Amino acid sequence: MKRGGARLATPLALLAAALALGALATPAAAQKRGGTLTIVRPTDPVSLDPHYETTAPGAWVYSNILESLIAIDEKLELHPKLATSWDVISPTRVRFKLRPGVRFHDGTPLDAAAVKFTLDRALKGTPPGRWASLAGPLAGAEVVDDLTVDVVTSEPFGPILRSLALVYAGIVSPTAVVKAGPDFSRAPVGTGPFKFVEWKTNTHVILERFADYWGDKAPLDRVVFRVLPEEGARMIALQTGDADMVLFPSPIQLAALRRDPKFAVHEATGLRVVFVGMHAKQPPLDDVRVRSALLHAVDLKAILANILEGAALPARGVLAPGVFGFKDMRLDQLYPFDRGRAKALLAQAGWNPGPDGVMQKGGQRLTLTWLAARGRYPKDGEITEAVQAMLRDVGVEAKVEWREWASAFTQFRGDPLSFHLFTLGWVTSSTDADSSLYPLFHSRQLPPGGWNTSRYANARVDTLVEQARRSLNQGERERLYGEAQDLLAKDMVWIPIYNTKEIVATRASVKGFGVHPVEYFLPLGKVWLDR
Amino acid sequence: MAGSLTFALRRLLLAVPVLLGVVFIVMLTLELVPGDAVAMMLGEHATKAAVDRLREHLGLDKPLLVRYAQYVGQLARGDLGRSIIQNRPVVDELADTWPATLELTVAALLIAALVGVPAGVVSAVRPNSSFDALARLGSLFGLSMPVFWTGLVLIVLFSLWLPWLPVGGRGSLAHLVLPAVALALPSIAMLARLTRSSVLEVLHEDYVRTARAKGLQELAVVVKHGLRNALLPIVTLVGIQAGQLMGGAVLTETVFAWPGLGRLMVKAIFARDYVLLQGAVLVFALAFVLVNLLVDLSYGLLDPRISRQG
Repeated sequence: MKRGGARLATPLALLAAALALGALATPAAAQKRGGTLTIVRPTDPVSLDPHYETTAPGAWVYSNILESLIAIDEKLELHPKLATSWDVISPTRVRFKLRPGVRFHDGTPLDAAAVKFTLDRALKGTPPGRWASLAGPLAGAEVVDDLTVDVVTSEPFGPILRSLALVYAGIVSPTAVVKAGPDFSRAPVGTGPFKFVEWKTNTHVILERFADYWGDKAPLDRVVFRVLPEEGARMIALQTGDADMVLFPSPIQLAALRRDPKFAVHEATGLRVVFVGMHAKQPPLDDVRVRSALLHAVDLKAILANILEGAALPARGVLAPGVFGFKDMRLDQLYPFDRGRAKALLAQAGWNPGPDGVMQKGGQRLTLTWLAARGRYPKDGEITEAVQAMLRDVGVEAKVEWREWASAFTQFRGDPLSFHLFTLGWVTSSTDADSSLYPLFHSRQLPPGGWNTSRYANARVDTLVEQARRSLNQGERERLYGEAQDLLAKDMVWIPIYNTKEIVATRASVKGFGVHPVEYFLPLGKVWLDR
Repeated sequence: MAGSLTFALRRLLLAVPVLLGVVFIVMLTLELVPGDAVAMMLGEHATKAAVDRLREHLGLDKPLLVRYAQYVGQLARGDLGRSIIQNRPVVDELADTWPATLELTVAALLIAALVGVPAGVVSAVRPNSSFDALARLGSLFGLSMPVFWTGLVLIVLFSLWLPWLPVGGRGSLAHLVLPAVALALPSIAMLARLTRSSVLEVLHEDYVRTARAKGLQELAVVVKHGLRNALLPIVTLVGIQAGQLMGGAVLTETVFAWPGLGRLMVKAIFARDYVLLQGAVLVFALAFVLVNLLVDLSYGLLDPRISRQG
């Protein structure tokens, strides 16, 4: 007994000592206030008003200035923000109770009229805001009383709450918009934890803590967003201490940064899937056996390890994990890398090796045309080349036509699309399966109206994504999207390659920061500096 | 003097059709290259209806010639229009970037002239000496190394290893040093080589021998008789360089995050923002015309035989 007790006592003492040490360590890790956070990133915003810019360089800044009715956290769950609660009162109407006592940076109060003003400006302005297309059938808002507002849609719209949590749906100060006119886009006024100070084009944007913020006030005094287009220069700025945070850090240097205690690498699973699209109406890709053969021919592991070097994850389907409605398509089991199976499938479809190794059928060679741009998505050019070589290994000859992004874009949006294959990426920016599955796979969403560049047509999938779009029962929607993805996995009109990772590198002194999976958010309200 | 003034005025008036032609060519080029400003602006998720509505709002649905006429009409009233992507007056965009470009160009030109010309003269006076060999090797290096490489090497040397200068951006004089040196390197090399060959040529002239025979000091011979007569091609090259530096500094501006016109133009081209691009191109074209005019005028000062009368 005695011995046993002594045995037990030692670990207990160690535990107590560890707890005491932990208690000692806690004060050192306590949040400090003050200081300036300097962020370097490759490009300047186009505008700081979501009305004019829907891309990340602007959104990173204004997502700290403007707030939406609903917040979406790092786990992609919804929380009250400027609205404290909401009720679905009819299939086309959601009633929001606003948080009382919230003030804009210009001192004016946040009320139902400001919400109505923001939505009307975005949806009905001349012209409407750049993000109006993302808002689906969102129609506007109606004031019920000072702190109660109804958001209405022209038809039932399942993703309505996630649409209102979009970074673009930040509520703006009506007084400031009217006073500043077009200049509002260079000096936005919202309710967020930071207020706008100065923007010098291609040099910096400066924000400072909003002292009258309704919630926990930001620990940082100031945030400076600097532009450093050159990747190498950005990494040097982090090392010299000129910068505390780097957006788009160099993937090659991440491993070294992780080992070095002076730095920290933060990452989250992103929402963009980069893929090689297949035109399902263009022979021979109208044959599902040929499409499946191409999937079997691609060695995803090799691409992920050697080209992306850990800066991305293998795609698990047509959606990113985390998106509402995501279902793992288990592509690694359905379409494992297997050249033998690829060739067998091609043989079933009537394609047999010709004298030069390229498959032939009735004297016709298996040659596919391919539209690709370089530099739009990380490593898109290298991936196109690698997949091209892998297809050659199973006797498929792919001829790539390289275009600069703007001109490739016009072709993608064109009808007809005369290419068999195309390299593209798609981000589910609303975090709801609707904004991928509906425009990409519904048979009536053909370009130039929609983005069904694969010309995929499956009546059952059409019904499923329509039903899910119109339903406000989120459980039912999840089931419908699951079934749609099961069907897509069988028909496969994409070769999904990778799922983006959102990666940010900081100095170790930057605390309280977490990368947001939505590439447009850069939450800085809780960040503090330990120095 | 009055002659020079008329000459300058006539040249400036001639610039008007040049600029109008430049505007038309830029507009035509952007019309011909594939790519749609509005579709790019609204991005992947935009509906066709939204794209069409915005195109109409911006007046981009009108034919090229109508837009050209409208633009020229605006120009005549001194209005450069609003950037399509940013909805911001182009004048403001230019006012933000133009001083930065001018500052960088002037600094690079000064460095190029102050280093390149003396180096060339010394090489010419002592041809095939070790200095000459070193200078020629340096010139070869300066000419063949791309600025995105020399730029990064300079940053590693003077920002990372010897933490003397900031990594990028514009502000103090310290910010200017690295981009100006990087931009000046190829110009130094070109000026040194040209100076060497033209001074070398002049030093073999009879009047130089005469000057030496008169008993003039070697320095006076080289500077007053040699360099002065070799200056004409050098000034021409400096003028061409000035024009090129203003337009060709995109890479330097990118490496050093210098907020200049080059990056503005690249941004405008990728977004197919023809209004913004027009404004930037007009500034370049005007600067080119002015620099050329200054070079021409300086010929008269350098060489009294070149007269502007008649």
